[in-house]
Amino acid sequence: MSQQRNSPHAKVAFACLLGALALASSACSVGVDAGYPAGDYDDYPSDAYIATTEPVYFNGRATYWYNNHWYYRDGNRWSHYDQEPPALASRRAASPPARRTYERPAASHVAARPAARTSGAARGRR
Amino acid sequence: MAILHLPLGRRVVALIALASALGANACASQHAAAPPPTSANAAQSAADDDEASGLLEHHRFHHHGGVTLFIAMSLDTLGLPQNERAAVEKIRQDLHTHMQPALAADQSLVATLADGLDAGNIDTSKVDSEVSQLATAAAAAHDASSDALNELHNVLTPPERAALVDKVEAHWAVWQRANAEASATEHAEKGHLATLTANLGLTPEQTNRIRQTMSESMKGVPRVDAQEATTELHAFGDAFESDKFDAKSLSGTSKLNAHLASWGAAHLAHFIEAASPVLSAEQRATLAQHLREHAGHNPSAEAQGAT
Repeated sequence: MSQQRNSPHAKVAFACLLGALALASSACSVGVDAGYPAGDYDDYPSDAYIATTEPVYFNGRATYWYNNHWYYRDGNRWSHYDQEPPALASRRAASPPARRTYERPAASHVAARPAARTSGAARGRR
Repeated sequence: MAILHLPLGRRVVALIALASALGANACASQHAAAPPPTSANAAQSAADDDEASGLLEHHRFHHHGGVTLFIAMSLDTLGLPQNERAAVEKIRQDLHTHMQPALAADQSLVATLADGLDAGNIDTSKVDSEVSQLATAAAAAHDASSDALNELHNVLTPPERAALVDKVEAHWAVWQRANAEASATEHAEKGHLATLTANLGLTPEQTNRIRQTMSESMKGVPRVDAQEATTELHAFGDAFESDKFDAKSLSGTSKLNAHLASWGAAHLAHFIEAASPVLSAEQRATLAQHLREHAGHNPSAEAQGAT
């Protein structure tokens, strides 16, 4: 083993390994904002977002475009792709995520009460 | 290391591949700290966009279906391919048909509350009777929907079933925020009292009087055990995501339907009863009109549903 480690071939291979690791590490960090620091779990789709937004199915999973990443459930956790898969990028370019609006927010119900009686058709639109 | 026995060229390629694999693993492991999907942190940090606010508003005022309603609403945004849409739309309509008796009871209750606000005198015995009727009808909705749910399981692919389960649990989390008790520290900022305070410009004195009356009057209303409900929903989710599913085996869902409907309706009724004597005539009229708007529509059943 020691002879192999000290051979010129081994040195070349080791240099290549270091370079490849650096490249892999660099590629990994592209698109990663900050991971999930302990105690800070704000950066993933909210319940209301999941409940009102159409997913895109990719790699056997429902994925949601949220805060500039595609998120998917992985067991009991949410994960996201660090780099946007081309198929999802194409899908996003073709059409933004469809969302469902069930009601006008309560404040506008009251503020716009006289008009609300004639604008019911706008409710529930996608 | 077997790599070291390879010729140099292949050794370099193999090492690069190994390094890439290590890097990819490092990327994947970064996500392992992501939290469960429906934690309180996520709910509290939800962006208050129109869709989120509208969903909260819906879950504050429409209590006719419990879990069955969560499932039907989840079909609205499942993002299905064209070849599945017609079958799922039929199932969605079936679910709403089975919830129709509970919807009628819910609408009658809300109309009674609106009439009481206008009159300055709410018929509490009629209200209690209507809450009870609503709970009975909501429990029956699940039993009547068993065949439709079994058919839904047959139509959907495993990823679509998993997406539906995520959405049902998301609706449950939003429902908890929308129906939080005014005395609760968690979620209460999106509950009835906070919303009414903002919408009608209640004074601090009015808000405090309503809160005090509510905390007394709700003492006799059986609480929804959030942990128990979550366990029941997980049982539904596990069953629905598995290869074999029979809705008839989920007897707990009927009970949960009744409990969610009766708690939500009773909470709304007690809230209106507590607010009525505290509000001015103009504020009562505004709130009554708001209730009638909800009693007169059912946006979750509208046709632009299943996708």
